[in-house]
Amino acid sequence: MLKICHLYPDVLNLFGDSGNVQCLIRRLEWRGIEYELTRVPIGKSIDFTQFDLFFMGGGQELEREILLNELRSGVDKEIIAAVEDEKVFFCVGGSYQLMGQYGISLEGHQTDYIGALDLHTVDGETRMVGNCMFSRVDDFSGSIVVGFESHTGKTYLGSNTKPLGEVIKGFGNNGEDGTEGARYKNVYCTYSHGPLLAKNPELADCILLAALSRSNPSALLEPLDDELELNAHFYMKNRLGEK
Amino acid sequence: MKFRIFWAILACKVLTGILRLFGRGGTAIPGKLALQMCPQLLGELAKDVHCVVITGTNGKTTSARMIEEIFAKAKTSYFANRSGANLIGGITAEFVEHSTMRGKPLKKYAIIECDEAASKEVCRYLDPDCILVTNVFRDQLDRFGDVSNTLESILLGIYNSPHAKVCLNADCPLTSSLANRIDNTVFFYGVDTSIYKSPVSEIDEAAYCPRCKVEYEYSYRTFGYLGGFYCPKCGTKREWPIIAVSEIKDCGLDTTKVKMRIFNEYADATINLPGAYNIYNAIGAMAVSQAMLIDPFASINALSTFSCGFGRMEQFDMGQSKARMILVKNATGFNQVINYLSELTDKTLFVCCINDNTGDGTDISWIWDVRFERLAELTELFGEIYVSGIRRDDMAVRLKYAGIPTEHIRVFDNYDELIKSISSQELPVVIAPTYSAMMELRAKMSAAFGGKDFWE
Repeated sequence: MLKICHLYPDVLNLFGDSGNVQCLIRRLEWRGIEYELTRVPIGKSIDFTQFDLFFMGGGQELEREILLNELRSGVDKEIIAAVEDEKVFFCVGGSYQLMGQYGISLEGHQTDYIGALDLHTVDGETRMVGNCMFSRVDDFSGSIVVGFESHTGKTYLGSNTKPLGEVIKGFGNNGEDGTEGARYKNVYCTYSHGPLLAKNPELADCILLAALSRSNPSALLEPLDDELELNAHFYMKNRLGEK
Repeated sequence: MKFRIFWAILACKVLTGILRLFGRGGTAIPGKLALQMCPQLLGELAKDVHCVVITGTNGKTTSARMIEEIFAKAKTSYFANRSGANLIGGITAEFVEHSTMRGKPLKKYAIIECDEAASKEVCRYLDPDCILVTNVFRDQLDRFGDVSNTLESILLGIYNSPHAKVCLNADCPLTSSLANRIDNTVFFYGVDTSIYKSPVSEIDEAAYCPRCKVEYEYSYRTFGYLGGFYCPKCGTKREWPIIAVSEIKDCGLDTTKVKMRIFNEYADATINLPGAYNIYNAIGAMAVSQAMLIDPFASINALSTFSCGFGRMEQFDMGQSKARMILVKNATGFNQVINYLSELTDKTLFVCCINDNTGDGTDISWIWDVRFERLAELTELFGEIYVSGIRRDDMAVRLKYAGIPTEHIRVFDNYDELIKSISSQELPVVIAPTYSAMMELRAKMSAAFGGKDFWE
């Protein structure tokens, strides 16, 4: 039984983010693997040790402020403990930033974040937006991931954090150093928002396998018929110029 | 100055004429050219015209058409930017078309649908008599960034319209919050009651009290985050609208029967369109008519005869089958289409065409916030679903994960084959295209089955 926790869907729900959760649970269903999905809105307290896989999406400014109040009530410590316990996290956009140490606003004001990952974010003036593509550098597959990014924050990784990928098209973490996303233990972070996993089934299964392997190190995933998913994947890959 | 106006008008009229001659209906380019020749042109042309500006995320075009019908029934002399060209270039071209070569207006009123981001500039030139804000939802965040940016753009538009009466949707927390920040006379409008018996559950697109940062609670909801909201902490609540739909009597598939409350009078009204969002469009148009001092009964009458076009439940004959086209732009609007579809009684072919050109929004992630799961539950109503458009593959994936069997998803690489397949079957058809997909489809469909060019 894989226990999945969707954290704060009430505030972190920017554009299609929940599609990632739907993608994960369908891919479990199709393989006959049992799971339990818990949606945790702001203000509901949970036992983080009970879950294998956590998902957090992106949010807008005001909503993120609301969330920060929640996190500071002690939830941040629990998230850090869960990360160190090698639980699987998949965080997109706004929540990716929140997993870091701190953020700096345009006015130069610093706000402390969860502090689970060695990275920080600086607000920028221009929006980095558009279809994007990167190759995974966190494993040996080098597999290509296609997505859509839209962010003004520029994220810089510290020495304890690896990038998820190397930018082929788009801006990535900051539009400067060619890195995209972050990896630390079993944490996967990316700026590719929306239903990223549905058009990147390989990444979806990679995250599922990481979660399943925690209780069963020899876990395997049967292949699925991914024809439609791969059509969408290759369409964008070709359009962005990667043959 | 006079010469510059003359030359700019001449250039715009000639270029528009040439473009039409070649079958291109675009008005944005001639308008932009004219503005370059004479930056003051729009302000000069609008000086003696009474303008109504319609802005907001959803429902601009339909609201504008309803207002037009009201103005037509009241026998006023008006023009409108009908072709959906709602940026400053297209709007300028429309004013040029309805003025003499010397820049004197030919009509008394202008009904102008205006893009949210463009409203700031457009309003400065138009100095409108009335502004209608339909609602503010997430839409094209790739263009606007945060939804609060959209709100700020609209606010600047109102700041630039010191003489305007402002009609605000009382049920939309974001829209109605504008009232506290402006000095204009405000007409609140809204719907006093819920609409659907079992609406699709949408994503938690919640609204928050800007003061207390807590989520609003609701005494009732209509759709999205529209409804009777209140802040459980500070007590901020929905304003009581002076123009409202007080009761939903019948939600038919072609019309909606309601009771309206106009100031303190009650009247029955029939809205000649289905769907909850059209109830809002109608009551918003009604608020404008009251701000512009038009007889309420003539306005109600106009709503009952109103027929719409341009992808707003527009009807087409396609070979053996009848089709309705509903433009989709974002998740909130599309979920209303799903609500509409799930109340159908006859087996229907659903067709979805998703493009990601600039006019559609380049980010199509929002299709994951549309509850296609509802269609998967209604197996007796929907068999095959056709998908086409630039992002057809992404749409097919979305349907697959919604639970539609893959053998029921048919992907069409081009519109010719799509139209051929649609017209060779007999089920009634509902087509949901994004903006640029609609433009292409309409062109192909009118070539195949006849129809009007879009600027007519």
